[in-house]
Amino acid sequence: MKLKLFLSLLFSALILFSNVALSATPKTLVFSAIPDQDETRLKQRFDDIAKYLEQKLGVPVKYVPVKSYAAVITAFRNNQVQLAWFGGLSGVQARLKVPGSQAIAQGIEDTKFRTYIIANHSTGLKPSDKFPTGIAGKTFTFGSKGSTSGRLMPQYYIEKHMHKKVGDIFKRVGFSGNHSKTIALVQSGAYEVGAVNYQVWEKELKEGKIDTSKVSVIWKTPTYPDYQWTIRGDVDKVWGKGFTDKVKKALLELKDPELLARFPRSGFIEAKNSDYQPILDTAKSIGLID
Amino acid sequence: MIQLQSENASYQGVKTLHDIDLKVSEGEKLALVGQSGSGKSTLIKLIYERYPVNTALVPQDYGLVNHLSVFHNVYMGCLDQHSTFYNLVNLIRPKADQVEMVRAILSGLQLEDYLFRPVGRLSGGQKQRVAVARSLFQKGHLLLADEPVSSVDEQQSRVVLKQMLNGFSTVVLALHDIQLALAFCDRIIGLEKGRIVLDSPAKRLTEQDLLSLY
Amino acid sequence: MDSVYKHSRAWKVSWLFVLLAGFSLFFSDIEIISLEPWQELKRLFLGLLTPDWSNFSEIIQAFLQTLAFAILGVAGGSAVGFLLAQIFHWRWIQISCAFIRAIHELFWALIFLQIFGLHPLTGLLAIGLPYAATFAKVYAEILEEGDKSALQAISRNASTISTFFYARLPDLWEHFKTYTSYRLECGLRSSAILGFVGLPTLGYTLSSAFMEGHYSVVWALLLLFYLLIATIRYWVRPALLPVYIIAAPFIVANDSTISFDNVQRFFTEDIIPAPIMRGDSLSESWHWLSDLLVNQALPGIANTVVLTQIALVASGILTLLFFPLISSHFFKPVGRTLGHVLLVILRTTPEYILAYILLQLWGPSMLPAIVALALHNGAIIGHLIGRYSLEIQLRADAGRGLNRYFYELLPRLYGQFLAFLFYRWEIIMRESAILGILGIATLGFYIDSSIQELHFDKAMILIFITALLNVLVDALSRYLRAKLRLTTNVDCRASNDYCTARE
Repeated sequence: MKLKLFLSLLFSALILFSNVALSATPKTLVFSAIPDQDETRLKQRFDDIAKYLEQKLGVPVKYVPVKSYAAVITAFRNNQVQLAWFGGLSGVQARLKVPGSQAIAQGIEDTKFRTYIIANHSTGLKPSDKFPTGIAGKTFTFGSKGSTSGRLMPQYYIEKHMHKKVGDIFKRVGFSGNHSKTIALVQSGAYEVGAVNYQVWEKELKEGKIDTSKVSVIWKTPTYPDYQWTIRGDVDKVWGKGFTDKVKKALLELKDPELLARFPRSGFIEAKNSDYQPILDTAKSIGLID
Repeated sequence: MIQLQSENASYQGVKTLHDIDLKVSEGEKLALVGQSGSGKSTLIKLIYERYPVNTALVPQDYGLVNHLSVFHNVYMGCLDQHSTFYNLVNLIRPKADQVEMVRAILSGLQLEDYLFRPVGRLSGGQKQRVAVARSLFQKGHLLLADEPVSSVDEQQSRVVLKQMLNGFSTVVLALHDIQLALAFCDRIIGLEKGRIVLDSPAKRLTEQDLLSLY
Repeated sequence: MDSVYKHSRAWKVSWLFVLLAGFSLFFSDIEIISLEPWQELKRLFLGLLTPDWSNFSEIIQAFLQTLAFAILGVAGGSAVGFLLAQIFHWRWIQISCAFIRAIHELFWALIFLQIFGLHPLTGLLAIGLPYAATFAKVYAEILEEGDKSALQAISRNASTISTFFYARLPDLWEHFKTYTSYRLECGLRSSAILGFVGLPTLGYTLSSAFMEGHYSVVWALLLLFYLLIATIRYWVRPALLPVYIIAAPFIVANDSTISFDNVQRFFTEDIIPAPIMRGDSLSESWHWLSDLLVNQALPGIANTVVLTQIALVASGILTLLFFPLISSHFFKPVGRTLGHVLLVILRTTPEYILAYILLQLWGPSMLPAIVALALHNGAIIGHLIGRYSLEIQLRADAGRGLNRYFYELLPRLYGQFLAFLFYRWEIIMRESAILGILGIATLGFYIDSSIQELHFDKAMILIFITALLNVLVDALSRYLRAKLRLTTNVDCRASNDYCTARE
């Protein structure tokens, strides 16, 4: 009896003291990123970026992991996050919700981004330059519901070529959640066909994570602009004039291949809001944005 | 003190009292007698509803809180005489002066050994005496008691009744024990099927007179 | 015997439900989609043999968050619920509470995420609000059913608070305590699940680990969760609760802030239907609304109902299979212990997590959802019915095996069984809707899609419809229970079983 009580007391004391890390420093720049791949490693991916920015900007910088694309947009809109690594669509949505916010940098690869349509070999679908109309009647998975390369663009091109809504083309349509998962699901055959961010595909291919005897790319979309860094318009008021430019400069000067591999990009170049007009038009045309 | 005129009352939808006329003056000790179901309990309730102020009640089912101690159950008679704060503190840490007053009352009812025992662990007769103790602690002008000694033995009944009659100037008791009614009260009301069929000073009655009611 | 097996109402209603479920099966999609489901299942069980604790600090952090949100949510909910219970006789309080209860914690979390973002208030309210509504109802029932005889002798001049604390609370305390601590267990499950939509609790780590197929981590988390629930009565003690409640805010605190502008924007812009915001004409507005209703609400409702009815009957069938496992009328102590372990695991695992696991293995058809709901609910009701069966005294010469089951026990337990099943009906429907977030096309799927597409106005309308559907099923269940005269003959005051079945 006494032992039990003691243990319970010990346990509660542990709870009390194990969490004293209550920082309330007001001027921390908080950034986030869309959870587009391997969620268990989001923190490992971006904590070092936070360190880099902190050192370059001279203000505290913190990365917060977020579970969904929509949640990053909401956090950005609520000013709980001031800087974000968005996808094409999520960036457009975020900037619509937060007037004054700007796209400041994009990956070199992001000017010419692509989506790969991948298929399990059991389907018998072969790689081709022409749109694979044979995907009709198969099971199909997108990535996240809010993804540009995993949803918006593939949906747009599929509907354009098939002249039907995706719901009417496929036997079943799913949303895997992220690109890594899309690859895993199509490889395992849970879905026969899928749409995946080409960067994630190439990266996992290089890392030997993909079993090419089971799954391969059957079609590549035309290029479109995708990921970008977007910052809120009111950061200069909080961190001083010219802060936006400082952040932009820090990102453009990011040359460490180790850090760039986290995105994965070969470097960052300037971006502006108007670069993403095609994404906005596409999103409107398929009804994702009113 | 009490004045009822052509009163009717229902219990659970069934009319149990008809056309009751009753006048009780200050200082009277009244016994209601009659078969079970004759309307004694309903009449007690009716009087309590009409005259709730300064009245102590010993209900047939005692009205005790099983998880509270005897002390707290007795103290409950006086909740209205203290502030809420005082009451709540007393609930957690019984006040010494209140404990002494309650102890004095309990000793008259041979309950002082159980002061801090939860009521749920007492026998039926003990519970009944706790309910009586609560009314004695409450004090007031009028005591209404519904079969207050039904679970207590003959000898203790006399002790309990004496305490009750001493504690209040006006007393209305529902009693099924005719002997006790005659011995302790000065006026007897006989009820039958919800009507008053007998109203007489106790002195003029014998047990035989009352047996006809049963 | 007549009362069950012939043409009694209970018998007819049972068949009606079975037929409905069979009919629903035609409209459901229940294939196993994965090509190698058993391969994946094998990997899952290999993970059980090699739980991975290497990320211990992260795991502990996730558990502390889970605990803290559960404790704060349940404590807040019970305090507010207790106050509401005092005025629960007001009709509009009953209606609002029924409505709030009808919306699942996860939906509340999705709503509050939009208002408060990553602030801890999101998790606190997501649990606290629906729990407060449930507490209000059950506390009010406890107050209503409790012994009121002590009130009659108390002077009417005594203050309400004094009267309540002396004449009512002491005798009801045990019931409040039992029910509240049971709800804390539910709260732990709710809190764990909130991680699936982004709160830093167990579900966050669990779903991430699952996404990547790190089954060893998955099992490390699940095993610890079972341990936490199994030991609940050792670490939840009245004397320690204040410590927990004081410590919890420190654990959930983060440095995000709430701005009033966001709150205001949510109510004045985000959830106002787009046609109204744009000032559309009536026909344009109608087009917008009918598009939402026809393409999202209706299919969502249909799938939710189909899933609910199949899962309800499947739960019933599993219950009838499960309860003998823990009944001394059928098994010796060793067998019963195994039965208990099985049922405890099934009912401790939140159905959402169970469905998530099966979905990963079999692909997103309705099958994983049906199996998950049936296993979880079947285990809960099976446990309760098994315990009731112990109260039945059989004649010395009663039959054995199947004869005993069908002639002696089932007829006596059937009413109880139906009562519990109908109690769970509404809960199964709420879960059916929520499982849509995992990709099954029930209402939750469309709600989640609207939120991911930042169409909060549509999401709110769909959530409203979901709540209405739940209220409707609740009413239907109450009607059927009354019609069939199914009352749980247990005293709610004496046992928490009744509460267990209900929530």
